[in-house]
Amino acid sequence: MRTDFDAIVVGGGPAGTSFARKAAEGGMNVLVIEKKKDFGVPVRCGEGFSERWNQVLEMNVSDADLGARMKGAAVFAPNGKKIVLVNDQTTGYVLERKMFDKRLALEAGRAGATLLPKSLAIGLVKEGNKTTGLRALHEGVEKVFKAPLIVSAEGMEAKIAREAGFDCKYDPYDVDACVEYEMVGVKCEPLIALWFGNEIAPRGYAWVFPKGVDYANVGIGVGGSTGADPKKLLDDFIGNHPEFFGDATVVEVKGGVISVGAPIKKMTSDGFMVIGTAAHQVDPIHGGGIGLAIEAGLIAAKHALKAFESGDYSDAALSGYEKEWRGLEEEKLGKRLKLRHVIEKLSDDDFNHVFNETRSKDLDEVLNGHFQGLAARIVLKRPSLLKVLKVLI
Amino acid sequence: MAVKVNHSKCIGCAGCVGVCPVLALTLEENKLSCDASKCIDCGACIKICPFGALSKGDSK
Ligand SMILES: Cc1cc2nc3c(=O)[nH]c(=O)nc-3n(C[C@H](O)[C@H](O)[C@H](O)COP(=O)(O)OP(=O)(O)OC[C@H]3O[C@@H](n4cnc5c(N)ncnc54)[C@H](O)[C@@H]3O)c2cc1C
Repeated sequence: MRTDFDAIVVGGGPAGTSFARKAAEGGMNVLVIEKKKDFGVPVRCGEGFSERWNQVLEMNVSDADLGARMKGAAVFAPNGKKIVLVNDQTTGYVLERKMFDKRLALEAGRAGATLLPKSLAIGLVKEGNKTTGLRALHEGVEKVFKAPLIVSAEGMEAKIAREAGFDCKYDPYDVDACVEYEMVGVKCEPLIALWFGNEIAPRGYAWVFPKGVDYANVGIGVGGSTGADPKKLLDDFIGNHPEFFGDATVVEVKGGVISVGAPIKKMTSDGFMVIGTAAHQVDPIHGGGIGLAIEAGLIAAKHALKAFESGDYSDAALSGYEKEWRGLEEEKLGKRLKLRHVIEKLSDDDFNHVFNETRSKDLDEVLNGHFQGLAARIVLKRPSLLKVLKVLI
Repeated sequence: MAVKVNHSKCIGCAGCVGVCPVLALTLEENKLSCDASKCIDCGACIKICPFGALSKGDSK
C-alpha cells in the first residue's frame, strides 16, 4: 500500500471519519489509522444525538439511519419532580452507533479515503523539529506513514496529540466516569430522561436514553474526582425503580470516561490539528460530543483543503479551523460549563427548591445561556443560594 | 511502579489513558497495559476507572 499521504488522521470515530470524508471529497489523499478492528465497536456512549446536528452532518441520512426518534427530554429533581422540555436541543435521536460510525466510515471510504483498521499509531516521525509522519503498528508490524498534515481525532486518549505538545491531558475533576447498560424490557417513553441528585450520582446524573419501545441505554456518570462507584450507583438506581426496570435485563455493558471541562486552549500547530473529543470539544452539561466531533471534523477539513491548495500547512494557515470552531461553539459551551459548576454545588435540598421554582420555559432559557430571570427568582426566595448562583447573574 | 489491570473488569474504554499525567497507559485494541518505567503511582487512573478495574500494583 502507499505510505505517502496529504493527511493522516489518527482515530476513526465521528471526528476522524468526517474529516476524512470531506478532505477526500476535496481531492486530498487521506489515511485514517484506527486501532480497533471495526469502526464504532465497541460502543462507549449514550448515543443521544440532538436534532440540530442533522444540519451539520453534510450527509444524506434517513430516520432509519439515525435510530430512535426522541420527542424531548424529561429532567427529574432528587425529590422526583419532573419537568419535560421540548426544543431543538432535546428532540432528536438515540443512535445505534455501531451502524452510525460504520456509515460515517463507509462514506469516508467512498469519498476516496484510505481506512486502516487494526493499526495503532505509536509515535511521530520528525525531521529536525518538523513532524513529517507517523509510526504505526499495523497488525503488529511497525510501519511509517508520511504526510504534511497529522490530524488527531483520538478521542479521550489523545496520546499522539500530547506527544505533539497539545495540552489534552485530563484532570479527574474535568471528567465524568460512567457505567451504562443497554437493557431490554424497560418501560420507556420516547424522551431522553435525566435524574439529578448527589445520592443518585454525585456531580453527575443518571440517564435513560430509549432506543425503542422496550429497550434503552441506562447509565450513570459521576464526577471523576469524587471517587464514587458508578457501577454500584447504577445497580442501586435500577433496583430503586422497579416501575421502569422491574422486567428489564442487560444486553450489553458499556461505559467510559467523558470530558466535562473546557476545550483545550490551542487546537493547531505547524502540520497538526486536534479535533473532536481529543480537543475536549464536549458539552460539559451532558457529556455529548458526537455532533461536536462531526462539526469540528468538517470545519477542520475545510481549512485543511485550503492548506492543500496553497501548500502552506503552517499553524497560521491551519488556525482558521480553530477560529471558526470557537466562533460557533465557544461562547455557548463556556456558559454551560458555568452552569455545570453551579449545578454540582447544589445540595439535593437546594436542587429541589430550584426545581420547584422552575418551569419548562425557564429551562429552555437556561440551556440557551439566559440564566438571570430564573436565578433572580430563586435567590429572592432562598437568599442563601446567592453565593452559588451569583456567577450566573 | 505500575498499576495492576484486572482484565476481567476492564472494558477497554480508555478513560484512564487520558488522565494519566505521564502517558504510562496504552490501550492496544482492547487490551490495557501500564509501562512500569513511566508510572508514578499517582492513582488518578484508579480513581476515575468506572469499572474498578485498576489497583495499586506491587513494585516490579
Ligand atoms: C459513557 C459515555 C456516554 C456518552 N454519551 C453520549 C451521548 O449520549 N451523546 C453524545 O453526543 N456523546 C456522548 N458521549 C461522547 C461521545 O462518545 C464522544 O464525544 C464521541 O465519540 C467523540 O468522537 P471522536 O471522533 O472525537 O472520538 P471517538 O469516538 O472516541 O474516536 C476516537 C477513535 O480513535 C481511536 N484511537 C485513539 N488513539 C489511537 C491511536 N493511537 N491509534 C489508532 N487509533 C486510535 C480510538 O480507538 C477511537 O476509535 C458519551 C461518552 C461516554 C464515555
